[in-house]
Amino acid sequence: MPSLDILGGRVVRLSRGNFSAVTKYGSVDAVLEKLSLPAGTPLHVVDLEGSRDGRPGALDVVRRLVRRDLRVQAGGGVRTPADARLWFDAGAERIVVGTITADDPRLLEQLVGSFGASRIIPAVDLSNGAIRIAGWTRETAAPLASVLRRIEQTGIEEILVTDIARDGVLAGPSLALYRRLAHETRLRVIASGGVSTLGDIVSVARMPNVSGCVIGRALLDGRFTLTEARERAAAPNAMPERIIPCLDVCDGRVVKGINFAGIRDAGDPVECVRRYEAEGADEIVVLDISASDRGVATSVETVRRIADAIFIPLTVGGGVRSVEDFRAMLRAGADRVAINTAAVQRPELIGEAAKEFGVQAVVLSCDAKRVGDRFEVVIRSGKESTGIDAVEWCRRAEQLGVGEILLTSVDRDGTNIGYDLDLLRAITAAVRISVIASGGAGTVEHFADAIASGGARAALAASLFHDRRLTISDVKAHLTSEGIPVR
Amino acid sequence: MNVTLIDSPVANTANIARALQAVGADVRLTRDAGVIAAASKIVLPGVGSFRAAMTWVIANEIDAVIRRAIAGGASLLGICVGHQILFDASEEMGNTAGLGLVRGNVRKLQGTLPVPQIGWNRVQFDANPLFDGVAAGTPFYFVNSYAASNAEAEIASARYGARFTAAVQSERVFGVQFHPEKSSTAGLRVLRNFVEKIR
Repeated sequence: MPSLDILGGRVVRLSRGNFSAVTKYGSVDAVLEKLSLPAGTPLHVVDLEGSRDGRPGALDVVRRLVRRDLRVQAGGGVRTPADARLWFDAGAERIVVGTITADDPRLLEQLVGSFGASRIIPAVDLSNGAIRIAGWTRETAAPLASVLRRIEQTGIEEILVTDIARDGVLAGPSLALYRRLAHETRLRVIASGGVSTLGDIVSVARMPNVSGCVIGRALLDGRFTLTEARERAAAPNAMPERIIPCLDVCDGRVVKGINFAGIRDAGDPVECVRRYEAEGADEIVVLDISASDRGVATSVETVRRIADAIFIPLTVGGGVRSVEDFRAMLRAGADRVAINTAAVQRPELIGEAAKEFGVQAVVLSCDAKRVGDRFEVVIRSGKESTGIDAVEWCRRAEQLGVGEILLTSVDRDGTNIGYDLDLLRAITAAVRISVIASGGAGTVEHFADAIASGGARAALAASLFHDRRLTISDVKAHLTSEGIPVR
Repeated sequence: MNVTLIDSPVANTANIARALQAVGADVRLTRDAGVIAAASKIVLPGVGSFRAAMTWVIANEIDAVIRRAIAGGASLLGICVGHQILFDASEEMGNTAGLGLVRGNVRKLQGTLPVPQIGWNRVQFDANPLFDGVAAGTPFYFVNSYAASNAEAEIASARYGARFTAAVQSERVFGVQFHPEKSSTAGLRVLRNFVEKIR
């Protein structure tokens, strides 16, 4: 559900509820023009002045929206039944009430009595677990659990939950908060705050107690459209997320290294991939680290042996420089080929390969390193910085024709401290194609984070699986328990 | 059981041959019209573009041979683009006629999700010998930008943005939009069912 925050009759966004950090989006008409919402679309309208000053102020805006056949859920400044009446008279279908849920439970009962439980949506605005009221300018003493109980007792079934720390900053929704609420209350939750990528939409849609979500800045900034968001939310479990073991091979043997250095022998690749398929691997990635210096000819035989041993998709990479290299790998039995250094040095290779073999055969392997508050592409197995911005590069590669991005955090690789979620969010917010998270996995929780919070559609690990510190089934069992669909 | 795998250059025949062998089939990989016409069990593979697949089929008169084999009682399984060309036509690159063994048209996947769809997707179906021993909702591996939707002969469906046809059956002619040879145990089971159970 798109959300419009109204201040002085115009659409704005506050960052973290701060009235001095205002982004202006223009007049209501201009914004509606831009969003081009079909008739009947539910719209969440927040009257910021009303909320701060304690009386409805944006009634005229609601009237205009209703005349455009939009179904308005309005809030801000309801302190008395007369205030609520003003919103309903202006055409609002439902009203959102915040302050009174904590301050005046009797009033909530009156409102339900007068207008019906389905037309009243209590807003629970939380900052570090405490309820905040009056335009988020002060904290209430009422404990969350008792506020939730009181709401349940009125017959209301749905609440709007905003995590103020996440609102308007595109940091991702508070999945942990919504999960916690599932244990504390049977109320359905409309998630608000932090939803900034299509991956976020999928993640909240997967939570059984979340019945909807309001999206502000992400839609206003044109990061995605309402149609896209609805499509992703419609069947969030249709496509299982993938767990991908990766083999680094050198001269036909599996090897392992930390931070791209200190390599040691770790076994036979065929034995390894057979075990992985049996454990439930959804795909295998093989990177030949010797090939970047010596060319792909040496890896063709390894690829053939591996392809012969499995009946799941196989992606191979390492030293691929030309369309001919692609052909050799695909002939050897690979389904997809990952390119890294060669694509950075000559981006046209992406288009050439996509034209010859199809976009699905081309995977961009992007190794990125944190430099200040941005991420930079590194090449030659992490040895060489390029100065290229990783977000820009992934976006460009998508346009040139890659089917998927294998995104490795060079900083996290081999550390087992978790995937770099900032890097993942930066890339998954910028592209539509799916992203495989790589670098840093150490626990089952890390895989869930990469998918639910990072927006990855697959998560990869190498030594973790190879050394049997975790099995693929361990990871999948955990993802299932977190409501993330797996095969 | 002998299975004749049509040796189309627009296909990844090696992977399919290997998967068929893994489920006990005796695989003959051939372009020979006489062999195909006399076959009792045919697999028609295909990747890439509908038009390229059809162009090769027609240039080598494989269409007529397939029809003859089916008329003579052979069963056939089309895979991916091999499944798509069973239909009347595809809107890929304008409009291209297919083999017309299954009623319906192949269209671009509807919706806003990125195409091609690449990955595992849950397949829904009612009881059919092709899916014996596989639970409805089991994921199979797909790589496609086009698909039929609501085909008359549909026996399985999946969703990618919108709903599409994942498998068809018209008498002895079967088609699957997914890649059974890349769908691990579930995919191998479908191939085994085709090899052992379809007469």
